[in-house]
Amino acid sequence: MERARIARQPAHLLLASEFGSATLNEKGSGEYDPSFVITKLGAKVNRIVAAGLLERLELRETSNGSSLYQGQIRDPTGLHYFSVGEYNSEMMQELAHQWTERLNDGEPLLVMMTSKTRWYQTDEGAVYTSLRPEEACVVKRDVYANWLLDACQATMERMNQFTASLEVEPTLDAFARAGLPTSLLAARNHYGEVDLEPFKLNLMQALDIAEGRIEAATTPPPIMTLPEGEADAPSGDGADLDAFLVQAIGHLDQGEGVTFDTLLKNAVARGFVREVAEAKLDDMLDSGVLEEPRFGWFRLAPSA
Amino acid sequence: MSNDKYADYVQAVQKECPEADAGEIAEAFAKYEEEFYIPPQDAMRSVLRRFQSGTTPAPSRSGSASTQATKKVATLGELSGSDRDIEIEVAIVSHNIRNQMIRGEEKQIAFGMLEDNPWEENGQRTRWDFKDWGPHANLAAGSIVRVEGASVNEYNGKMSLNINQSTRIVVLKEGVATPVPSNDPLDISNIPKDGYICVVGRVLARRPDQIHRKDGSGAIDVVRGRLADNTGTIGFLSWEPFDHEVGTLVKIDGAQVRSFRDTPELNFGRTTRIEVYHDANFADLDTLSQNSLTNVAALRDGSRDVDAVVQITEITKRTFNRDGEEKFLWSGQIADPTGRCRISIWDALPFKENELPVTVQVKGARVRAWQGIPDITVDNAEQLTVLENPPWDAEMDLTNHAVEVKLSEVVAGPSRVGMMTRGMLVSVREDSGFIKRCTECRRVLRDGVCFDCGENEGTEDVRLRLVVDDEGVTAAVLVNKDASLAVLGMDQQQMRSKVEELGDLGFVQHVRELMLGRKISVSGRSIVDDQGAMVLADGFEIEEHDAQMRASELRAQWGWA
Repeated sequence: MERARIARQPAHLLLASEFGSATLNEKGSGEYDPSFVITKLGAKVNRIVAAGLLERLELRETSNGSSLYQGQIRDPTGLHYFSVGEYNSEMMQELAHQWTERLNDGEPLLVMMTSKTRWYQTDEGAVYTSLRPEEACVVKRDVYANWLLDACQATMERMNQFTASLEVEPTLDAFARAGLPTSLLAARNHYGEVDLEPFKLNLMQALDIAEGRIEAATTPPPIMTLPEGEADAPSGDGADLDAFLVQAIGHLDQGEGVTFDTLLKNAVARGFVREVAEAKLDDMLDSGVLEEPRFGWFRLAPSA
Repeated sequence: MSNDKYADYVQAVQKECPEADAGEIAEAFAKYEEEFYIPPQDAMRSVLRRFQSGTTPAPSRSGSASTQATKKVATLGELSGSDRDIEIEVAIVSHNIRNQMIRGEEKQIAFGMLEDNPWEENGQRTRWDFKDWGPHANLAAGSIVRVEGASVNEYNGKMSLNINQSTRIVVLKEGVATPVPSNDPLDISNIPKDGYICVVGRVLARRPDQIHRKDGSGAIDVVRGRLADNTGTIGFLSWEPFDHEVGTLVKIDGAQVRSFRDTPELNFGRTTRIEVYHDANFADLDTLSQNSLTNVAALRDGSRDVDAVVQITEITKRTFNRDGEEKFLWSGQIADPTGRCRISIWDALPFKENELPVTVQVKGARVRAWQGIPDITVDNAEQLTVLENPPWDAEMDLTNHAVEVKLSEVVAGPSRVGMMTRGMLVSVREDSGFIKRCTECRRVLRDGVCFDCGENEGTEDVRLRLVVDDEGVTAAVLVNKDASLAVLGMDQQQMRSKVEELGDLGFVQHVRELMLGRKISVSGRSIVDDQGAMVLADGFEIEEHDAQMRASELRAQWGWA
């Protein structure tokens, strides 16, 4: 019993879209029982191997004065959010520090990380997942491409299981007889109908990238259309930028907020200076016009 | 007039209970005083309580003394380990009877499993074990009953229900007349490590045996034997008379699987139904005896009556003294195309030791395991028949043969020698690199101290400690010095300079940069125990794959070409 409880949890291969869209978690009642995230496709994961382009990594001071690195890596399907804090190994903290500097120097970093999964819920009830890397390294393109393919294969297997489960009576017995994991039943009950088409598109895109057909896999950045006559004088001037950001967020927010990246891309496309826009976002956060419900996601504060 | 002396008290009670009748209150005080010599001031509290509760029992009436209420619950989850006298409706999943010595008296008790929430179809059900100390005649598998007055037992964190002799069982729905879930027959190779199952097989062997009670109170007559079908064989132990001749095809329903060491065995008891089965297509005895030959990969600790053809690749004679008498045994390495393991022969060899390798047919051997590696034990040279040629390609070099095994199978056991497996490297542990081993026992030293032998200056060694995962299973991998240096492309001196340059942790990170997230293959031996699976690798390779090719293959495979 005691031994089984501390048994190491295997790592699964998950693309960002599947992990990021998960909202279900499972934890046993015991103090040391592992906590799992269950995805829409029924993967039940306590640990995953993620990879992608290190897109952002920053050192932040937390409210209790300890330091926390927060970052995101991008794979073809989306973003993984991760954090490295004082609970991590010395090595991992040191690595986060080095990566931050390299990233600030403008070096592109393709990284691979074995990470624990984390599930959390805000006071408002929104559910988010994120990663806590245990070990990580910088990888070359072909290693990344092979990881992508392994992750695609694992995802495809789950999609096939998911499709097979539609024919199976939704009971534990029937799932066991059909050789389907119980976590898939939990996923089916929690998520209801799941559209597999986005997952399939993700896989196609990932295959394109692994195959080196980057152009085929390239999608234009999200383009925002603003009502006419609003943005006629984007001078980079503070007040205009203010108004633009507020408007952009109001326009793009689908309920979860708008990503840092999308906002900046749009601001730059409107002729604002990226760094200025970044600083402005910080100001607006501080002054309470905006809030950041989830790290890297912005939305208008209810009063604004 | 007699009641007037209570007037003050009656008033006080009425203050609390305005509805109470003054006469009755006075009567109650009188009763306390007259029947029990309780003065009104002392009876005050009791009287008050009686009228507050609104009931009008006469205090003298006996029988209502028991105030402990039965705890009625709908689900087992509502119960705690200390609950007594509970009431719940459950479905009886299984029901077995056994004899047990209780305080020197042989008694029948029943045990099995039950589930709560018995009425809701496909609803969430919790399953507990129960013990019926009655035993109650109306408790049967498949029935739904209300259990009144049972108690909860908690042992090692596991909860079960005790149905006591005084417990009332109300049958709400009669059990379907199938004793123990009547399963479809299983293939012998699919028999789980425990549980109740149904199986169809031919009797391969059968012999009467006796089991001696540990307390010395006598022996039980049993029958041991072996059953076979196309997929394999399994030993059985019947606690009841078993008269079916060798060669008879039987269907056995409700056999209990128990595992001795790593070997499952069928147990037949009172509730097991054994009947002769008719199936003209079922393999005959000769075929099955042929098929009952096992191979090295399938050997399990605790197996008996093992037949196999193996090649003996090494053999050495060991002598030792027991009770002043010189004894010997031959111990060696064996192999077949499925793997390698050990053999112990407690008799003279039927071949010359310099003729190795020799292929032998082993009959009726036992299997034990040492450090997880199976060891075929041969007590008698007659169990060995030397074969001219192996039944596999004679050119095959089995001494260096590594059999590829999927990681999921490695983890499921048993321990193997001469295996190879692959997966994704998900962790390089921080204690990879240079280590010091105890000069006495080779254990890795922690801060110059051996766990077994105490302080020790140690000898230097190199190893990598890794974790490899595949398809949702995980195994630890220890790579030995030669294989570690080979994969790092360094000799020990170069590695030392690297460690000096980067520091211990820096070196570990260097190793991670080389191999984290890569597909690797490792070969060597595996040890599987209750702490999980571990591969001791003397071969280690980082696999190189052409991503472009793989992507095109996947595209074709998924019909996206």
